[in-house]
Amino acid sequence: MKASLLVFGLAVGAGALAAQGVAPAAALSVATTRVRSEVPTGTSQFAGAVIGGEGTLALGRVQLDVSYVQGKVDPDGASGPGYDLVEGAVLVRARTVPWLTLGAGVHARSYTLPGGTQRWVFTELRARAAGLFIGSAVRGYVELWRAIGADVNVPEAFDHAQGGEAGMIVRLSRAPIVARIAYRIDHAVLGGGTRRETVDGVLIGIGVSRR
Amino acid sequence: MSWRVAGLCALTWVLQAGAPAVARGQTSALPFAEGVRAYKNLDFALAAGLLRRDLARLTAANAPAAERVPGLVYLGAADLFRGRRDSALAVFQRLVLLDPRFRPDRLVFPPLVTSMFDSVRARTKTVVISVPPDTQVTPGTGGFGAWLFASSFQTVEVTLRYEDGAPFRFLYSGPIGDSLRVQWDGLDAAGQLPPVTRVLLRVTSRAPTGELAGIAQLPLTLRLVQPDTLPWPPPPADSQFLPERASGRPAMRALWGGVLLAGAVAALPAVVGESNASSGPRVAVVGAVGVAGVLGYFLHRPGRPIPPNIHANQVRRDAWQRRVDSVATDNVRRRGDVRLAVHAGEATAMQPRTQ
Repeated sequence: MKASLLVFGLAVGAGALAAQGVAPAAALSVATTRVRSEVPTGTSQFAGAVIGGEGTLALGRVQLDVSYVQGKVDPDGASGPGYDLVEGAVLVRARTVPWLTLGAGVHARSYTLPGGTQRWVFTELRARAAGLFIGSAVRGYVELWRAIGADVNVPEAFDHAQGGEAGMIVRLSRAPIVARIAYRIDHAVLGGGTRRETVDGVLIGIGVSRR
Repeated sequence: MSWRVAGLCALTWVLQAGAPAVARGQTSALPFAEGVRAYKNLDFALAAGLLRRDLARLTAANAPAAERVPGLVYLGAADLFRGRRDSALAVFQRLVLLDPRFRPDRLVFPPLVTSMFDSVRARTKTVVISVPPDTQVTPGTGGFGAWLFASSFQTVEVTLRYEDGAPFRFLYSGPIGDSLRVQWDGLDAAGQLPPVTRVLLRVTSRAPTGELAGIAQLPLTLRLVQPDTLPWPPPPADSQFLPERASGRPAMRALWGGVLLAGAVAALPAVVGESNASSGPRVAVVGAVGVAGVLGYFLHRPGRPIPPNIHANQVRRDAWQRRVDSVATDNVRRRGDVRLAVHAGEATAMQPRTQ
């Protein structure tokens, strides 16, 4: 519900902002998510779908990205209770060359577990390379990020985290409609390797863009 | 009388010889004025002498007829009054030949003079030709006109002739009273453009008895003026045309782009340090990217016609063809727009020796 309101708000404000030289974009996202935790006592794996939205405001070479998804993941291949997953990010990016964008921001994820909410907050640096590869309609991109700081309320000490996303964006030539399909993966290492957290999945989005 | 003439001549000689050089230049009109004064003082012999001398000077200087005519009429009258009728007739005839339109002022000259002048004018058959010095006419439209002014009623034959006298174009034959305007359409007798650059406009005057009375002739220099045709507009340069067939580059970019992107998706877990990532979602994205790449290859296959480019090129070719057609039409009009420039020379008049 929150995600829908966010997307709706971005879409409504897009027209007014475009007139001021600001290029807005908004999209609805559906993602399959698989959460895998490896600890010395064993490996747990949960899977499910999350839904949300994302919006972008671009002004010249600089853009602000906001995203929010939430959903529920259940044990993968086993029975048992699942838990809610909420994830959001706020990133500022700058296009350095036409095909390369560098960015930084905060990326947070929380799991609503029976024993309390587990929060993962990463401060990230990101780099994205993108380019057209099918006419002017389809753009491919590869993005990598690495955490330069983290705030995690788990017993293990944070070691490092990094991730990436690769996919393609299809833009219709006669309408401001964009569609996206991508594969994303985050990998965090804690406690000197005693705990490994991996979240990956397929992201499908559809939205409007005036860029 | 002779003493008076001698005295006057001596005075004139003294004035001419003794006058300063500056003053000498101002005495060019003196012989005529002195002659007229002598005529009015009834000293016709002195008047005739002064006027003859003045006319000789004007003739030597090739002065225009308008400057010679007043002296001639006074000279004729003076000769008449001093009893030299033949001389007066000759002077009046010379005057009529010089300017057939001249009439003596009947308030100045008595009927004896004017009636004699009229009789001479009636006997003398001559014509002057009056044309603008430079004219441009469109051949075939009868645009070149010449005014003929006759001394008296007569029959004239107006022709254009080659320089050797051979007939080039007949213009008019018939009577003329006071004046007549003849037209030439700028073509030769066969209706073609003049093959020569110089012709003679000849007016032959005949007495009522049919005998030749005089010939007036005017050389005309002809020049065909034809506007230049416009050059053909250059065809559009090859660089202005868009490719009508797709090159292989977009197709290969789609294919190799799909391969690279699919490879990046497949390799992403290894890049971020995870070796146990599930393969299902990745395979789905790899498949989607791969299919898109192959589809893009076929959509942009080499040699595929590009309709928007074909249309744009055709529009450019049509625009050039329209310009070519416009220039061709304009050139046809320009080729037909030939004009004939006519420059008139110095007129001459001839009289038969028998007169």
